[in-house]
Amino acid sequence: MSLRLTYRARIGLIVFLCLAATWIASLSVFYEAQREQGAIRPLPSQIVALVRLLESAPVSERPLILASVASETLTVRLEPGGDGADGPGAFLARQALELALSEIGGRPFVVVSEARHVGLVSPIAPTVMEIRVRLLGGESLVVRTRSTLLVSLLGLPVGFASGLFGTAAALVALVLMQREAGPLVRLAAAVDGIDLACAPVGLSVPRHCAPEIHALAGAFDRLQSRLSDMLAARTAMVAGISHDVRTFATRLRLRADGIGDDAERARAVADIADMICLLDDALLASRADAGELMQELVDLAEVVGAEAAACAAQGHPAVVVSAPGADQALVLGERLGLRRIVANLIDNAVKYGRAARLSLAAEGDAVWLSVEDDGPGVPRSARAAIMEPFVRLEGSRSRATGGAGLGLAIARHLAEAHGGSVTVGDAPGAGARFVLRLPRYRIAG
Amino acid sequence: MPAGTVLVVEDDAAIRQLVGELLRREDFEVELAAEAQSMDLLLARVRPDLVILDVMLPGESGLSICRRLRARDGVPILMLSAKGEEVDRVIGLEIGADDYLAKPFGPRELLARVRALLRRGRESSAPAADRRFAFLGFVIDLDARRLETAGGEPVTLTSAEFDLLACFVLRPRRVLSRDQILDATRGRSFEAYDRTVDMVTSRLRKKLAGPGPGSELIATVRNGGYLFTAQVRRLP
Repeated sequence: MSLRLTYRARIGLIVFLCLAATWIASLSVFYEAQREQGAIRPLPSQIVALVRLLESAPVSERPLILASVASETLTVRLEPGGDGADGPGAFLARQALELALSEIGGRPFVVVSEARHVGLVSPIAPTVMEIRVRLLGGESLVVRTRSTLLVSLLGLPVGFASGLFGTAAALVALVLMQREAGPLVRLAAAVDGIDLACAPVGLSVPRHCAPEIHALAGAFDRLQSRLSDMLAARTAMVAGISHDVRTFATRLRLRADGIGDDAERARAVADIADMICLLDDALLASRADAGELMQELVDLAEVVGAEAAACAAQGHPAVVVSAPGADQALVLGERLGLRRIVANLIDNAVKYGRAARLSLAAEGDAVWLSVEDDGPGVPRSARAAIMEPFVRLEGSRSRATGGAGLGLAIARHLAEAHGGSVTVGDAPGAGARFVLRLPRYRIAG
Repeated sequence: MPAGTVLVVEDDAAIRQLVGELLRREDFEVELAAEAQSMDLLLARVRPDLVILDVMLPGESGLSICRRLRARDGVPILMLSAKGEEVDRVIGLEIGADDYLAKPFGPRELLARVRALLRRGRESSAPAADRRFAFLGFVIDLDARRLETAGGEPVTLTSAEFDLLACFVLRPRRVLSRDQILDATRGRSFEAYDRTVDMVTSRLRKKLAGPGPGSELIATVRNGGYLFTAQVRRLP
C-alpha cells in the first residue's frame, strides 16, 4: 500500500492520536475515582442499619421501608427463608459485611455476585452483587446492587484500558514520528557530505518518505548541480581569461625585444613572467576547487629533487637533506599542482628564511615533507594568518622581497585539494619549519 | 639560401605576424596558417622543414593536427602551449611533438628551439621510430600489436585486451576513468559499455599476472577508474 500522507497530515495525525490518548486517560481517571467510591455497594453499615430497622419495625411497615431504600442501582426485597452458597469473587464484600454484622450479634448471610454480559467476574468489582441476610424473624433480606461501572474483560474499567491503549498508541505515534524525522536527519548529513568537486551525486531518499522530503531532496540536488555548474563555469572563465591574457602576453613578450635599453627590457620581461605566474596560480586554484585536477602517480621525491635543483640553479641555497628511494613517496595527484606546492614552500623558505632544507619521508599512509629555514621563524600568533591569501609577515607589499602573499595560501589550498595539509612549526634552530603532509599511494603487490 | 622553411600554425594574427617577421629576419622561409584547413592547403604545395603549431586552435585542435602530421611524415613539430598544459601528453608518447614552448615566450627562446629542431631533423630524417615500450617485465610493440615477456615469450591477447593495454601504456601512471578509456579506444574493439571496460580489465589483469611479477599492475582507484602503476620506458 503506498498511501502517501503529506508531512502536514502526518503531523496532524500524530497530534490527534496524542490528544485522543490524553482524553481517554482522563476519562479513565474519572471512572477509576467513581469505582473507588462504590467499591462495595451498599455499604456494610447501610445493610446493618437496614437489618436492624426491618427486625424492629412492624411487619406492616416493612414494604414502606423497602420502598424508601430502593433506587435505580439497588433493589431490596424480603424473601421467606432460603439459604445459599457464596458466589465466586465475594471475598472482600463478605469480610466487610461480616465485620459490620458482628456488631449486632451476627447474622448468617450469603454474597452472590455475577457478571453480566461477560463471562468473567472480577474479584475487585463485581458487576452485580446480591446479598442475602437471614433476619431474626427467619426471612431473608435480599439486597441486589448493580454497578454503574462498565467493566472490561480483565475486570478493569473500560476507560482505564482505553487509557492504556491510548498511551500505547501515543508511543507508536512517537516511533512513527521518529521514522518521519529520520530521513530529514539523513538528508542533512548527505547535504553536508556533498563534494562539489565531484560529479553531482543524487541524494537518495527512501520511497516511503513524505512528498515534502522528496521535494526537499530534489531541491538540494538542483542546488548541488547549480553550484557545481557554477564552479565549472568559473574554471572555464578563468581558463578563458588565462588563455586570452596569455595571448596578449605572448605578443607583448615578442614586442618587448624591441625595447632598446637592456635593463628596461629585462624588467618588462620579468613583469610579464610575474603576471603569467599569478594567472597560472589562479587557474590552478580554481581547477583544484572544481575537482578538475588530474590524477596521476607522482613520485614526490622526484618533484622535490627537481624543484630544489631548479631553485639552487638560480643561486638560492636549497638542499634536499633526506629523501626515500624511488617509488617510495608516491602520491596520487596532479604533477603540476604538486610541483607548485613544493616550489612555493621552497620559495617561501629562501625568501624569508635565507635557506631551504628539505627532508622527505614516507611512512604508512602519508608522505611528509619538512622544509626548514634559517629565518626568524613564525610567531605562534601569526601561524594561522600566514596561510591565508595576501597575508605577509612583513608588512610592506613590495615585490622585491616577495610576491603577493599567495604562495603559502596556494600551497595549502592545493595540498588540501590533494587530501593533505600544510602546517607551520619551529625548526630545531631559530627558523620556521613548514610541514607538508600528503596521502601516500602504495602499489599493492 | 634560406635557413629552412617553417610553417607557423597559430590562430592569433598578431602572434602569427610577429613570429613570422622574427623568422624571416633570421632568413627562414615562412608560411603562415590560422587553422587546420589553411594549413592543409599550404601543405599541398610546400614541404616545410619544421612546423610550429599552437595547441589551442579553433576547429581541429593542435593536438589532433600534431597526431595527423606525425602519422604522415617525420617533419619536426614544435608545439606552442600554455605552461604545463598537457605538456606531458604533447611531448610524450601520445601526441609525439618533438619539443614545446610555453607561452609567453621570447624571440631568443623560439629561435634556439627552431634551430635545434632543424639540426636534429637533418641529422636523422628517419621517420618516427617503432612504438615499442617496456614495462615491468613485458615488452609491447604497438605497431606489430604484439606483447612479449622480457624473456621473449609471446603473450596472447584478444584485440580488446591489446587495445586496452595500449591505452594504459600510452598513459602510464595516470588515473583513467571508464569514459576516458572508452574514448581512447573508441572505434576499436570496445563497445560503449562501462561494464565491458571492467570485464576486459579483469581479463587483462589475469593474463598479465601469470607470466610477469605479481604486483598490482592495473589498480582500481576509488571513484576514479583505473591506474596503470608501472613505469613505461620507450625502447629504441
